[in-house]
Amino acid sequence: MFERLLPLLLLVAPVHAAESVAALLKAADAFRLPAESVRVETHVELYKNDALDKERLYTVYVKPGRRSLVLMKSPSEAGQKVLMLADQFWLLMPQSQRPIRITASQKLLGEASTGDIATMTWSDDYNGVVKDEVDCPSPPADLADVPTPATTHRCLHLDLAQARNGVTYARVELYLDAASKAPIKADLYVGSGKRAKEAWYVARPVNGQPRIMTMVLLDDIRPNRRTVIHYRSIVAKVAPDEFFNPAALVRNPLTDW
Amino acid sequence: MSPRLTFPALLALLLSGTAAAVEIHAAISVAPEYRARNDASSYLTDATAAEIATRSSRQDIELRLQQGGLNAQGTLRQQVANGSSPEYHGVANQFYYDGRIADGLGWTVGKKVLSWGVGFGFKPLDVVQREDRRSVNAPPLVGVPLLALERFTGSDAWTIAWTRPGQGDGDINNDGGERDSALALHWYRLAGDNDVHGVLRVSPRRRLEAGFGATRILGDEWAIHGAALYQRRGWRRTNALLDDGGALAATDPMMYAAHGGGVKSVAGVQWTGESGISLLAEAWYDADAYREGDWRALDALTAQQLALRGVAPAAAIDGNIAWSSQAFLASNLLRKNVLLRLAYDDRDGFKPYGELLVTPGDGGRVLTLGAVWEGDRQRYTLGARQVGGAADSAYAQAPIKRVIWAEWRLAVF
Repeated sequence: MFERLLPLLLLVAPVHAAESVAALLKAADAFRLPAESVRVETHVELYKNDALDKERLYTVYVKPGRRSLVLMKSPSEAGQKVLMLADQFWLLMPQSQRPIRITASQKLLGEASTGDIATMTWSDDYNGVVKDEVDCPSPPADLADVPTPATTHRCLHLDLAQARNGVTYARVELYLDAASKAPIKADLYVGSGKRAKEAWYVARPVNGQPRIMTMVLLDDIRPNRRTVIHYRSIVAKVAPDEFFNPAALVRNPLTDW
Repeated sequence: MSPRLTFPALLALLLSGTAAAVEIHAAISVAPEYRARNDASSYLTDATAAEIATRSSRQDIELRLQQGGLNAQGTLRQQVANGSSPEYHGVANQFYYDGRIADGLGWTVGKKVLSWGVGFGFKPLDVVQREDRRSVNAPPLVGVPLLALERFTGSDAWTIAWTRPGQGDGDINNDGGERDSALALHWYRLAGDNDVHGVLRVSPRRRLEAGFGATRILGDEWAIHGAALYQRRGWRRTNALLDDGGALAATDPMMYAAHGGGVKSVAGVQWTGESGISLLAEAWYDADAYREGDWRALDALTAQQLALRGVAPAAAIDGNIAWSSQAFLASNLLRKNVLLRLAYDDRDGFKPYGELLVTPGDGGRVLTLGAVWEGDRQRYTLGARQVGGAADSAYAQAPIKRVIWAEWRLAVF
């Protein structure tokens, strides 16, 4: 009897695990995005040898279907835009006013990777397994942006692989608080298998709900670099579909939205 | 109603009629440039040399304003050069309004930069803006007066634009050949990994121009692109003495002349690695540029004029050769061009690059090396370009053999 059921059990078990991971990722995403369509005001601080080197401001519009539009607002980048439609990317430089189709590798270029700013969910991009349950990792002692919790929590350790082409990181090791499913930490790996960054997530209450309002990225490739992404506001906002057409990047009516 | 009356009225109307936040940005820049004369060039005479400022600098204060669909960009410029007094200019780079009629339907009126198509060293589908992609240390682009209607769907976009309304056929010899009124159409389609473009332009000067182009993404690192444009009537600046048979002209003989139908095309491949290194290889053909034979004819005319020293007044000879040297102002000196570019992005604001442009028809080449470093608000640019190649190639004969430039730019707010 058992021998007859074994093939069936083997078939069912991975499906069950995959569903669990999908649900976990959905729950984790909810700490970052409160709605499917949002406008996010982002303030990015780039530190070099622990000294503030550069600051950048971005407005990000996110819509379902893995659509993101990044408007760069800081004085030195004003007018630049990046559009991401699933695994397709376009860049608009204000000097030329011509949307340029770029590859996934080109999206990684620049000081603050556009993918880190525009991609705020895992559930659409990754699948994987729950590797184990461990004590939640503690942030490095000198990382002032990430408070060390007073008590040790248990974390689910997820090993995620890209489910689609064009995602910023090919593999993610994600640690979620076992009780709340809030993201705590992620190790981000590029296509070559090298760990590129270590991400720490800081939640604080917004309208009574815990939300990830700060993400700290420690750069493995350039160890003296630290990027702190502050989400100044995340509001539900449905920008018109036409603004997510690459040819519409040359138009500028989004300050009304 | 003239455009000069329209724009201030439009500005007042729009600023009063919308509550959208105003975004204002300002930047200042200083861009010195050094040019070395090419003593080996037949085209370098005293008259030509007098036209070449070896040291110059452009100082700009640039202002940008955006409120809702209203966009304005202007530049206050000081231009200094050795041998001449400082010049001051006010440039209205852009002043336009993007309006919205309904979902997916918009309009634009004003002066706007409108760049179309694909390509890096050359963009044949750029039938409205027609920017020179190979100029060094270029100032911000100046838009084109236009009235446009745009339609967007999920994967398509249509733009129909009446460009330079009211300017008619223009004066081709005074405006560089591009300031004619036209009706232009751009179609764009996002088809999976492909961006497809089509353009159509109808004007009295060039009559019909029609072209297609596409960019295709291949995996995470590779992209290929290509475009071709057919034009019913092209124009290039030629020396009228080559047709008349004379040796010296009393007035500038370099005139724009129509040369019938022709094709402009570009094809290229680009690779960008995870390391930040990128490579570009691109080849293009420009039917508006000279053939090798056109340069040989102009070289022969120049040699003939130089042979008249002692017979004809030196000023007449030098002046005629200086006029002929305007042929070097074309964005492409020859029809067939190949560009190789190697660049690096350290993801910390430092971006060095090297470019080699080759004209296979005559063995000419242009080597460009440069780097950009971008800080929080400051940007530093440094570059050098050297022309050379086969001694009788067009580039080796250029009156300027080397350009070194720098730019410091501060984004104030």
